[in-house]
Amino acid sequence: MYRMVLRMAWASLIRRTTRSMMVVLMICVSLWGLLLMQGIYDGMTEQMISNAIRSDSGHLSLFGHGYRLDPALDKRIQGGGLNSTKLATLLDHDSGVASWVGRLNQEGLIATAHYSRNTIITGIDPKREEIHGNLQNYLIQGKYGFGQSGKGAIIGFKLAERLQVDIGSKIILSAQDLNSEVTSIALHVSGILKTNNMGLDESGVFIDINIARKFLGVVHGLTQVSIMMLDDKHISDMQSSLQDILPDLEILRWDEMYPALMQSRVMMRGFSLVVSLMIFGVAGLGIFGVILVSVLERIREFGIMLAIGTEFGQIRTVVLAESLCLGVSGFMAGSLCGGLSLWYFKIHGLDLTLFSDAFEEFGMDAVTYAIIRPEYFVTAFTAVIIATLISGYFPLRILRKRKPIEIINEV
Amino acid sequence: MRFLRADHLHVKAIFFAGVVLLFAAECSAESVEDVIKKVVDNLNGKSAVMEISMTVKTRRTERTMKMESYSIGQKKSFIKVLYPGKDAGITFLKVDNSMWQYVPRIEKVIKIPASMMLQSWMGSDFSNDDLVKESSLYDDYSHSLISETDREYTVDLHPKPDAAVVWGKIRMSVSKEYYLPTKVLYFSEELDLVRELVYKDVQSYGDRFYPALWIMTPKSADKEGHETRISVSSAVFDSEVDEDYFTKRALKRFSK
Amino acid sequence: MMLLNIAFRNVITHRKRSIITMLLGAVSTALLVFSSAWMDGSHQQMIKNGVEIYSGYIQITGAKFRENPSFDHLLFDVETLQSHVEAVQGVQLFSPRFESFVLYSVGEKAVGGMLTGIDPEKERSISRLHASLTAGNYLTQNDTNKLYIGQELALRLNVGVGDEVVFIGNGADYSFAADRLVVKGIFQTGLYEFDASSAFLAKPYFDMIMASDNMATHGIVLPENLEKSETLAAAIEEVVGVEYQTASWQQTMAALLKSMKLDSVFGYITLAIIFTAIFFVIMIYTLLVVYARLREIGIMRAIGTTPGQILTILILESSILGFLSVCAGGLLGAVFAYYFYLHPMVFSGMEEQFKQYGLAASAIPTAFEPVTIVRDMLIMFILLLLSTLYPILKVNRYQPIEAIHHV
Repeated sequence: MYRMVLRMAWASLIRRTTRSMMVVLMICVSLWGLLLMQGIYDGMTEQMISNAIRSDSGHLSLFGHGYRLDPALDKRIQGGGLNSTKLATLLDHDSGVASWVGRLNQEGLIATAHYSRNTIITGIDPKREEIHGNLQNYLIQGKYGFGQSGKGAIIGFKLAERLQVDIGSKIILSAQDLNSEVTSIALHVSGILKTNNMGLDESGVFIDINIARKFLGVVHGLTQVSIMMLDDKHISDMQSSLQDILPDLEILRWDEMYPALMQSRVMMRGFSLVVSLMIFGVAGLGIFGVILVSVLERIREFGIMLAIGTEFGQIRTVVLAESLCLGVSGFMAGSLCGGLSLWYFKIHGLDLTLFSDAFEEFGMDAVTYAIIRPEYFVTAFTAVIIATLISGYFPLRILRKRKPIEIINEV
Repeated sequence: MRFLRADHLHVKAIFFAGVVLLFAAECSAESVEDVIKKVVDNLNGKSAVMEISMTVKTRRTERTMKMESYSIGQKKSFIKVLYPGKDAGITFLKVDNSMWQYVPRIEKVIKIPASMMLQSWMGSDFSNDDLVKESSLYDDYSHSLISETDREYTVDLHPKPDAAVVWGKIRMSVSKEYYLPTKVLYFSEELDLVRELVYKDVQSYGDRFYPALWIMTPKSADKEGHETRISVSSAVFDSEVDEDYFTKRALKRFSK
Repeated sequence: MMLLNIAFRNVITHRKRSIITMLLGAVSTALLVFSSAWMDGSHQQMIKNGVEIYSGYIQITGAKFRENPSFDHLLFDVETLQSHVEAVQGVQLFSPRFESFVLYSVGEKAVGGMLTGIDPEKERSISRLHASLTAGNYLTQNDTNKLYIGQELALRLNVGVGDEVVFIGNGADYSFAADRLVVKGIFQTGLYEFDASSAFLAKPYFDMIMASDNMATHGIVLPENLEKSETLAAAIEEVVGVEYQTASWQQTMAALLKSMKLDSVFGYITLAIIFTAIFFVIMIYTLLVVYARLREIGIMRAIGTTPGQILTILILESSILGFLSVCAGGLLGAVFAYYFYLHPMVFSGMEEQFKQYGLAASAIPTAFEPVTIVRDMLIMFILLLLSTLYPILKVNRYQPIEAIHHV
């Protein structure tokens, strides 16, 4: 029976090729645009979030009590029950943790003979940061690492511009050490970073953590621990379990550290939803029109079929099948085009360097990589099915209300 | 008798020649390091108590301040501003690498944070850092003799790899007579001339010599027309200086 | 004329099609009008915020000050400059400011920041400092050592209204300057960087301790007509001469402009996608209707109507529908735009996001510009017309007999 239904639906659609083609084209083009828009906007937002997570907060960040309000070395994570070694063991053995890094931060001054600027000095372990957040991918000049002697420094690109330094330039870092004494160290610029995390690019300096320890006189302890989870769904659970074990520390998720980013994401998703609804609403209208006309055109046929005993249910099946055929063909065409273009932009990225100044102002990358999520297609498919079914429903109601004899007798 | 007189002369001549040769050997054996060490010692002494007047000139203004300064070696120094009236009583304390300032007008002791170390000191062309770090010429640099005249050595100082100094190079001209600097040129790492410090007017103070006039001239384009002159009106070296001067208490106590 | 009548009659007869096409057309127009109003409104808000919070529409500095902001390149005779500038046609106000970098100290803490002498009365009209008050009181002209401090800076120093803050710095003559200040008021503009590093004094008192009488680091001009900032800046430049540099906000905030362009681009792309769907649907509906009337058209052709006349009738139909829907939609969009112009939309929960983009308030009014609305209506009209073109042309290619026999 279904074969016959399909054949009837197909025949009906073919009879009016132009019309059918237009509907399929409509769904295809709208879906293509929608998928592209979702993938690229999504990509942009996620890139911003990812930059912040990889270069700074991780999924979770741990700080000493009171450190966020007053970032002083004496408020770092240390001793007192669970010191940094125990913390290290704890995190190493947790199966949900993908990686973690410890950092030593202090604000200070970076200077050359000509210029000086306020800076945040961060002591890191470059090998661990590589595994943790691919920090090396942000390098735009120089080498990733601090050289043989460990006396290298990796600085943000905007800071490098302001100081007018290049790879190999000598820089002097000055800061207050653990005893509030002003201490200085000479280093050479070994790399320049562009993270699009504005704070880092404009005033960040990374140095070797062992050098930082000597420089600041901090033998034990860390100012920040950044954790990456294997599955970001477990972030909140990890946060509460860690807080239980370490009640003295401040444990924050990335969205608590950067609420603006989470809001970006929420806004993007909301926006996509609204636009999708609009588009599918309109598309549904298109399908409705076509099916309505198609039914009305053949109303005599349907009348006769009903009169000779065909059950209404069977006619409904035929009409819905037509409607679904249109919808599904459109969906497949649109998904194919949309999917292929998204895939292209996922690999090659969309180059918006024409607007790069504007992007940099807000910490976004000028080259955006699209994201493909199965949700896009699932949502679209559901929407298409619903639209086609609803569109088919109304003409059928109109048909149902009529009596077969009246229909046949109509001119 | 005749024989003795001739021998005596002969021996004297040999002896004299020997002394001259020895002396010559001593001279040529003097290394650049020694020269610099002498310069540093001459500039600092075991202790120093000085009265100074500082004139800061810009294209628009000219201001003069008078101060007295007490220092022990290179690590401790205390400065008190005497004139003009509105700045009188301001005191500075430097111990090792830290610097504090007391301002009587606001009755507060402020510790100069790392981020302010490169700001100008009292509006002059010297920075806070200069006051704190001026003594590192011997320790933080390696020295090479560039040229020599009858009156002067010219020495290049290159920062040692780990030295936390912003300069790429310092070129110092040293007077052979006094082992005091005559002119010091400060270069950035790219070897741009950033500033020039000239020492003039060497006077004797007790058994020491010291330049009574220092002129600092910044050479970067944005500081055109600026100059700071420091003139030493009196100086006493190597006397007993009360250690009390170099405590935070001193900042307020000796402000009056 | 007769063709027009026929067109009208056809529109009225085929009600279902007409209604649906008009509905779609009206909704699209309303959407375009409202979206434009919304985008323009949010951009204007971004500009206003960026410019009006503090940096001003037009800035006058010493010619060399921008590259080299030292006290050598100050505005030295502010009174004379002020009288010259305020005499220029289109200038509402000129207000001088003196910014200096100082060290603030409270207890053991020492933090670097800006201390600026302002004219508190003029600043009310020129910037949002007064409006950003969150605690205590704003400054008056004869306040002495009363400090108006940014929220984040106050937090860093851990002070509240009535607490004392000490500062040390350099005066305009490079002399040493220091004073004890008392916090009179705290402000929060929403611009984090600004709030974390700025504090203000009344300029008369500031001039006294900083030796900056009749001097300023820059002056802000408030234009009578905000739109005409750029031309006014050029006019002022003519008057004051080459020792000064006059820049409008478009130059001082070029990055903001670019980011707004970017935002527009995204907005229009999204709209384009929606309109494509609508475009197709209108095309489909036109096709359906036109095919349904194929017999009718065929008969008309058979009795002598030329293809040109058929074309004209159909295009007139589309135009009538387009015109009516654009008017209805334009009106609807305009009504919404006007409503939200008077009652801006508030986005609670999005404040952090907004702060990041320099939008201090989370209430955004739409713009209400009749010219833009008419422009949008015109654009929509053309698009609607174009979307009906393909079916019309297709149908016109049928030969009369074919058409009559079409099933």
